[in-house]
Amino acid sequence: MSIENTVSEKKLTQNGKTVWSKIAASCLKFLRNIGNFIVRLWNHPKGRVGLIILGALSVCAIFAPIIAPFDPYDVTQRAERGLHPSWEHPLGTTISTGQDIFSMLIYGARVSLLIGIVTGICIAFLGAIMGILSGYVGGWVDNLIMRVVDVMLVIPTLPLTIVLTNLFGKSYFMIVFIFTLFGWTGLARTIRSQVLVLKNSNYVKAAELAGAGRWHIMMKHILPGVSHLLIMSTCLTSAGIMVAEAGLSFLGLGDPTAISWGKMLAEVQSGGAMLFGYWWWIIAPGIGIFLAVYSFMRIGIAMEEIFNPRMKQTSSAYKIFKNLNNQYIEEVFHSMDESEKLGYVGGVNDNDETVGV
Amino acid sequence: MKKSYIIKRILYTVLLFFVVLTLNFFIPRIGIDDPAERYYPPQGNMSDIEYDIVKQATRKQYGFDVSTWKQYLRYVDGLFHGDLGNSFKSGSPKVIDLIAERLPWTLVLSITTLFIGAISGVLIGAFAAWKRGRWPDLVLMNASTITTALPSFFIALILVLILGFEAEWFPAYTDPNMVADFDWSPEAIGTVFYNAALPIFSMAIGSIVGYAQTTRNSMIAVSGEDFIVTARAKGLSSDTVLYKHTLRNAILPIVTNFGMSVSGLVGGAVVIEQIFNWNGMGTLFLEANNTNDYPLMMGIMLFLSTFALVANLVTDLCYCLLDPRVTVDGGRR
Repeated sequence: MSIENTVSEKKLTQNGKTVWSKIAASCLKFLRNIGNFIVRLWNHPKGRVGLIILGALSVCAIFAPIIAPFDPYDVTQRAERGLHPSWEHPLGTTISTGQDIFSMLIYGARVSLLIGIVTGICIAFLGAIMGILSGYVGGWVDNLIMRVVDVMLVIPTLPLTIVLTNLFGKSYFMIVFIFTLFGWTGLARTIRSQVLVLKNSNYVKAAELAGAGRWHIMMKHILPGVSHLLIMSTCLTSAGIMVAEAGLSFLGLGDPTAISWGKMLAEVQSGGAMLFGYWWWIIAPGIGIFLAVYSFMRIGIAMEEIFNPRMKQTSSAYKIFKNLNNQYIEEVFHSMDESEKLGYVGGVNDNDETVGV
Repeated sequence: MKKSYIIKRILYTVLLFFVVLTLNFFIPRIGIDDPAERYYPPQGNMSDIEYDIVKQATRKQYGFDVSTWKQYLRYVDGLFHGDLGNSFKSGSPKVIDLIAERLPWTLVLSITTLFIGAISGVLIGAFAAWKRGRWPDLVLMNASTITTALPSFFIALILVLILGFEAEWFPAYTDPNMVADFDWSPEAIGTVFYNAALPIFSMAIGSIVGYAQTTRNSMIAVSGEDFIVTARAKGLSSDTVLYKHTLRNAILPIVTNFGMSVSGLVGGAVVIEQIFNWNGMGTLFLEANNTNDYPLMMGIMLFLSTFALVANLVTDLCYCLLDPRVTVDGGRR
């Protein structure tokens, strides 16, 4: 094994360019796969709903300056305070500043979608790296990563996020960074368990015998095997992150300069909308958050049904979303380890059912 | 075999506790400045020597007179004597006293929510699993996607608007005199629950649906198993099969869910407490954060993580009791 490894590593280092071209090729393949997924999602009833909502929201976010009748960031474009809905202001204006609520709603989509998607992708990257390293390399690397996960799961996330945003500033970059720092643990566990199964599969063993290096196997054989999990979890974590970001902004701990749905809800509470019964002001940002999260969840669930037709009519996607750090799943993973130790790979399928259903 | 598993699990928890303790001590300190300069900025008529004396005294008062490493040792030492240090609040009250004062108020909310959620959720979930594919099931499935996508604080705002301001059934904000006036008389307890109704309700909706979903999925998984078919074949009534055979065997994921809610009992209501101005741990933490009162923040975070650690430990041990198949390494076979 070790000799073969070194041989293949030499091969790779001899022409360093090939490594990069290989990575580029796999990235391209990944992108093409994503294109395929979108087509398949469109043909799936649940996925189509999600795609339509997400598309509409993305259009809102990208073309916000064109769609929105006013620029809520512009101090000069403010109307009278606390106007009721009218043709000019479809959702009225805020009581405290006189900003147009409809425009705020459209601009708010930018923050939610951007933070949700960027964090989701970052988490997918970090989770994939950690999960594959821990599952495939094993040994002390595995031990170290899993112990870090254990610690991260115990530390209360919201308080620590509050402390860190307070220390390092409230910019969106920081918020994405902090969410990524705490979000990868659940995904890493899921990936690791899948990698443990793949590691014992015949094609990986064949690749090992053929003298492929670890890096090559991880990139070429293991990563494609877990890519469906990655894409699915990106959707579901994005949805979760959007809710979390809204909560953070609601507490006044988001970026203070930006207009986000969570911050709009905070203004609803502090601005006295409830006292005056301005229900449209309260419901609007809530519906925004709901649509964004709902579309991502729909897409996630649809993807799961596409990837695992066996799991139709169940919603383990829901479960993964709700309990990303579920200990029950962990138990199942433990049993997967066990079965792996016993060389009893067939048993994994039985456990699959318990996760899924 | 089992004993060794339990001992291993407990030792691991203790180890995790120390790691978390260390992180909790050092992370809030990353951005900390000298309390002396923050609380006693140099006065105009004060000479440098005088100001040095004031600074030294303040540092000593807040425990900053020694190196960080020694402060850490002192903190750990204090911890074993039940002392989490003093808050920066005026009069420097003990952190442990502040936590003890706020804790019951949070627990009122979270424990009530937990039990409402768990009990009604399990019943609804069992019902939905029984009526699989028909309308109760479909309603539950759709409700679960909707409540997961709606943040609980938005539900709370809507409830405040409808039940608090429009219908005026429940107070929209917590009565500020509730805590001060509290004695154990029935009226006082009644007031507490009257004020707690909306926060509890807004948290319970998500909780009920979560439990119902877990129960339903788990029960459907179990109902395909051979012993259920046997029970049916024996001619048992469908109620007996449902509650005695299926539900009992489907309990493990529910226990996990319960354990996770327990670990979130103390720290899970920050936003809701903020909305209703509820006098609990969440608002205490936000206060501490806003005033940079980091001994208090450290204390609260340590308390929360310890609570989560113990809850995880107990859940694991419950697992061990409930499912004899749990082996030494925690694997299910």
